[in-house]
Amino acid sequence: MITTAGLTEALLWGIANGCIYILLATGLNLIFGVMKLVNFAHGQLLMVGAFIAYEITTIAGINPYLSIFPAMGAVALIGIALERFAFRRVRGTEKLNEIFISLGLIYVFQNLATLFWNENYNIQIPSPLRGLSYSLGEVLLGYDRMLAIAVVIVVLVGLVLLTKKTKIGLAMRATSQRSDTAMLMGININRVYMFTFAVGAALAGAAGALYGIVFSFNPAIGALPTIKAFAIIILGGLGSIPGAVAGGLLYGIAENATGYLTNGIWQDAVAFALLIIVLIIKPTGLFGEKGE
Amino acid sequence: MNKRMLIAIVVVVIVAVASIAAWQFSQIPSAEARSIRVGIVAGMNTVEGQDIERAAKLAIDEINAQGGIWVDEWHTKVQVELVLVDTVDDAAGSTAAPVTRAITDQQVDILIGGATTGGTLNGQIPAITNRVPFIITGASLNLVTRRGSLPEGNPLRINDTVGMSYMFHYCTTISDYSYTVAHFLADSVKAKLDSAYSFDSSRKLRLAILYRDDGYGRGVRDVTSTIIKQDSLPIEVVANVSYAPTATTYQSQLISVKESNPDAVYIAGFTADTAEIVKEGINDVGLKSLYIAVEICEDPQFYTLLAQTGDKQILESKIATQWQGDTWYLPKVGTYVEDYKNKFDGKIPGMLGADTYDAVYIYKNAVEQSGTLNKTNIRDAIEATDMPQSLLIMENQKITFSTGTNYHEIMPKTFIEQLVWNSEANALKPFVVYPASMPGIVPFYQRDFALPTDYEPGSP
Repeated sequence: MITTAGLTEALLWGIANGCIYILLATGLNLIFGVMKLVNFAHGQLLMVGAFIAYEITTIAGINPYLSIFPAMGAVALIGIALERFAFRRVRGTEKLNEIFISLGLIYVFQNLATLFWNENYNIQIPSPLRGLSYSLGEVLLGYDRMLAIAVVIVVLVGLVLLTKKTKIGLAMRATSQRSDTAMLMGININRVYMFTFAVGAALAGAAGALYGIVFSFNPAIGALPTIKAFAIIILGGLGSIPGAVAGGLLYGIAENATGYLTNGIWQDAVAFALLIIVLIIKPTGLFGEKGE
Repeated sequence: MNKRMLIAIVVVVIVAVASIAAWQFSQIPSAEARSIRVGIVAGMNTVEGQDIERAAKLAIDEINAQGGIWVDEWHTKVQVELVLVDTVDDAAGSTAAPVTRAITDQQVDILIGGATTGGTLNGQIPAITNRVPFIITGASLNLVTRRGSLPEGNPLRINDTVGMSYMFHYCTTISDYSYTVAHFLADSVKAKLDSAYSFDSSRKLRLAILYRDDGYGRGVRDVTSTIIKQDSLPIEVVANVSYAPTATTYQSQLISVKESNPDAVYIAGFTADTAEIVKEGINDVGLKSLYIAVEICEDPQFYTLLAQTGDKQILESKIATQWQGDTWYLPKVGTYVEDYKNKFDGKIPGMLGADTYDAVYIYKNAVEQSGTLNKTNIRDAIEATDMPQSLLIMENQKITFSTGTNYHEIMPKTFIEQLVWNSEANALKPFVVYPASMPGIVPFYQRDFALPTDYEPGSP
């Protein structure tokens, strides 16, 4: 039986889930936009962020939402190390080298996480808001998901301010347009790349902390969110932050509405079918520009 | 001493010495003697797989501590070697390659394990082809030993009857536990609802089935409906809702379930997804119902994941590793749990490990009975197994394998536990609430079934 209340609730859940995907996709998009680097291990940074936030919350006993910031910082540091010691080494060589490094990193992160957190399989970051919902008539929306939406909005506003209003943001935008010209203008693109990767990783860390508050997670969760994040940035348009936002929301809504209206097995299929349809109609994605 | 007497003594001595020499000679191990390689098929990225590996290690270490397994044709006891066949996540695509490697490269003598139906249906193919005995201890779809009886054209059908004869199922099947769940709902839950909410006795219990969209989940859905119909149980299935095996969140499906106004939700999932469903259902979607989890969730992780949310929820089971009582319902279970905890830093064993532990001993018995490691002889010896029940409760209190329609299956008994939150221990504790008795076990039933505190029944 399909009801308006049920459908509304499913759509609202979809928006909330979509927001977490947006955060992950935006980080992926930023790295791709500035560095032209496709990082398939981006979902593993989400997973690491979730575990770090979990450890901080449980060991320090702090509010899980406060653990988002140290998780972002820790994952940003991991991002810097990855850029400096892995991706920079192959920059300018065959694109396949970057791709294989990122594919290899998937297994490195997954196995290390299994090693460290073997005892904590399928855990969730304890939230004091767990189980509490805001009721709109028959429609329920959990406070944790509402807060997740709010956190995503704040982080995205911060990102926009960073890229539009700061010097490093200007350097990132310049590098994303023409890295060689940016270099001629005196921009240290090594620093820009390192900073960009750190910001992208920090966004994945934030997404991980929110993911861990809303869902249960384990060392193997990175793969599916990465695929979804790729679908979202292609849907929204490569390199476009508004595109990632629109793509994430559309994806989350399509995914949840399908789960409600049909059997669960179609959930991923319909969401990806949406991606194919958008690409047929607008090959550059919703907000993409030619040449990306 | 006369001459005849002397000759008699000499003859007796010669015969005695010759006999002793012959006996001693027979005790010299054959040059062929080597360790017995037991392939443990387990996905090490899953809690179930880790439990399987630990339980197998426990059994093998116990056997080796006693010198090993006696192999008559080699005239010696032989040590057992655990060969881990790591199927990672035990998904359908992850099993065939490691099982093939275990057979061809590591030359395993037997395969034991296989947690999921999807993984086992693929992983058993190299074992069938290579005629390696495989005692399946996890996958509960009875198809794993009955693929030969599928209709022609069915992609899962196996025409190799001889190859299939090497497959054994030491595990409860979907039919076994769905029968227990359906009858528990009809007998205990319906009675409780009728009295608590003054429902008319003709009102059927409203059951929603929420299942993984794979062979196992669909099997639970179909078998449960068949049992309800065949046994004319007063149950109406008001929703059949599936979720993708890759799903990590289940809200949209739970909203559909909620709108069907069920009295109870039967979840055909694994440990992590079932716990998540119960938590999301109660906490997020507001579906304050009675949730029934399947026995694969008889794992300490399930209790931890559910925590307080699991208070008064239901778990179908076949081994109570967290038995709440002064004396264990089966002494062997108590010994197993204590040994497991001692060996593995206080970890509480799960259900699939228990099956695997028993299966190692079934293989030991088969080797001792057949006196050889020859795989055909081992297959015949396993088929002829006749051992006392061990960790699982059996209908006839014996471990035997069927040879008829229910091919190479055992006759286990399953039961229902209600999880109760113990605030002092800060943990969920299980209590048996169904059935009232078990063959050969007194006492077994521990307390009456009670509805969860905030329970809301389905529509009248």
